[in-house]
Amino acid sequence: MNHPLEITNLVKKFGGLTATDNLSFVVEKGKSVGLIGPNGAGKTTIFAQVMGEHRQTSGSIKVYGKEITKLSTSARVRHGVSRTYQIPRPFGNMNILENIRVGLMPDNIWQMITGNPDLDREEELALSVGFTPGDLMKTPSELSMGDLRKLEMARTMATDPSIMLLDEVFAGLTVSEIVQIADLIQKMRKDGMTFLIVSHDLKALEPMVDSAIAINYGAMIAHGTLDEVLANEDVRASYLGGTG
Amino acid sequence: MDLRWHHFALWAAFIGGMLALPQFVSSGTLRTIIFANYLAIFAISWDILSGRTGYISFGHPFLIGIGAYTTAILTKRFDIAVEYAIPSAVLMTMVGGLILFLPALRIKGSYFALVTLAFMELIYQLVQVIRPDLTGGTRGMSGIPTLTLGARDGFYLSFSLMAAIALSMWLLMRTRLGTALSAIGMNEESVRGSGLSTTRLKLFAFLTGAFVAGLGGAFYVHYLGSIAPRALFDINFLFTILVAALIGGLSTVIGPMLGAFFLTFLLEYLRPYLPGAERYFIYGGIALLLYMYEPKGILHLFSRGLDRWRERVSS
Ligand SMILES: Nc1ncnc2c1ncn2[C@@H]1O[C@H](COP(=O)(O)OP(=O)(O)OP(=O)(O)O)[C@@H](O)[C@H]1O
Ligand SMILES: [Mg+2]
Repeated sequence: MNHPLEITNLVKKFGGLTATDNLSFVVEKGKSVGLIGPNGAGKTTIFAQVMGEHRQTSGSIKVYGKEITKLSTSARVRHGVSRTYQIPRPFGNMNILENIRVGLMPDNIWQMITGNPDLDREEELALSVGFTPGDLMKTPSELSMGDLRKLEMARTMATDPSIMLLDEVFAGLTVSEIVQIADLIQKMRKDGMTFLIVSHDLKALEPMVDSAIAINYGAMIAHGTLDEVLANEDVRASYLGGTG
Repeated sequence: MDLRWHHFALWAAFIGGMLALPQFVSSGTLRTIIFANYLAIFAISWDILSGRTGYISFGHPFLIGIGAYTTAILTKRFDIAVEYAIPSAVLMTMVGGLILFLPALRIKGSYFALVTLAFMELIYQLVQVIRPDLTGGTRGMSGIPTLTLGARDGFYLSFSLMAAIALSMWLLMRTRLGTALSAIGMNEESVRGSGLSTTRLKLFAFLTGAFVAGLGGAFYVHYLGSIAPRALFDINFLFTILVAALIGGLSTVIGPMLGAFFLTFLLEYLRPYLPGAERYFIYGGIALLLYMYEPKGILHLFSRGLDRWRERVSS
């Protein structure tokens, strides 16, 4: 069985610091997995390795059975993994539609030149994450944190991923923005999307996930349903004292 | 590509107006415009390579120099016809673009800028040391065949070349390719994260920029009929190009063109008051003013004014 994401014995060292410590887990197709842990536990570093932004020290990362360790970031995206960033990274001088356009483009210079942008699809994506038609020409400097996260979602969705990694999607959002993003994720789950979601907001995360993994100091300390994970002694200790 | 009739009307009006110019202005002014045309070509090519991708190159004279020297040597020393010499020069410049691209694989920001500055210094030393019998050494070359006689023809040729380059680059950069290249300058990681190979895109930008720089360099040398390495591989020449692109507006094609004309005429009018290198202090002043008040350049200033005028007309 080829899973959308299969991580085996993953290790990442930054000098003397072990940011990922012999980690193994799978994300099954159509499932949504929560990835939790205190600040600095190594959540974002896992995403960075899956995307190829950091190369792992050792271990394997497979996407649908294919070892992707040697692939560039862009090749991994074309292979179906895509992520959002904890700190949104929009294209500052472009409006919302143009930002999404970059995600929709084929990775082929000739086609970029000869083909026209798919304006309908750009708008459809923008509206699907909750933008209004009046927002479409706005540039990132005019957007709230919630809007920037929506834009990250839309650009990530534009790459047509089969698994999405969401880093702190709820951070810095108002209550109504959280509801909007949550609705969007729920709708995509119904449509069969696979998710790995990092969030400090456990209450918002709870309805979004089928199961959860807790890490601390880069190593897995618990896995199971989110309730089981949160009931785990080590997890409680790590969140309270940060001493794992 | 979202082209409207008024785009073409504007281009037609601009090109038509410029072609009629020799009827109205002195040949002295025409010579100033000829320089503005070549500066516009260099600024457009710099903007494609650097302005969009954010890989700020201080090595543009390196590229222009390869184009200029190649065609100069081929025509003067080997009596090769310009029909062959200029395309060879453009090709060689693109090889130069490839060399300039290599550091961009590893470094960016100020380190990249410094490395490219070293390229300019390097070629300056090389043309003086290696085979001065071909390059003319420190003194450069003169008596290179010219393509035109007189200011009028020189104007027509330089303007046609500049307009053809500007129009085709304007069309090219209005496609999704232009969007992707500008996106690299804004956030390269996000472009990769959007599934696009930034290496290939940057390579394309460098080769296209080099193509245009080579074309400009080659035609420029056949206009001047001479090469002076001290003036070509000169920080002031480099800054003239950069400032033209900056004041015009980065990541646009019209901006560098406007900037080149503005800067050329500004320097020309300042010549009686600031005859020497002092006028280059002006660059610093302009750059500072723009940075503080309109970082997007004079093109943006124009279009904002136009928007305000439209609003007033429609209300
Ligand atoms: N590029 C890097 N170089 C050195 N150390 C790094 C680097 N990136 C992350 N680290 C370290 O690795 C550890 C894990 O960081 P990471 O950002 O993955 O944590 P996180 O779980 O995402 O934290 P947060 O909840 O604050 O986002 C931290 O100790 C961090 O300081
Ligand atoms: Mg993080």
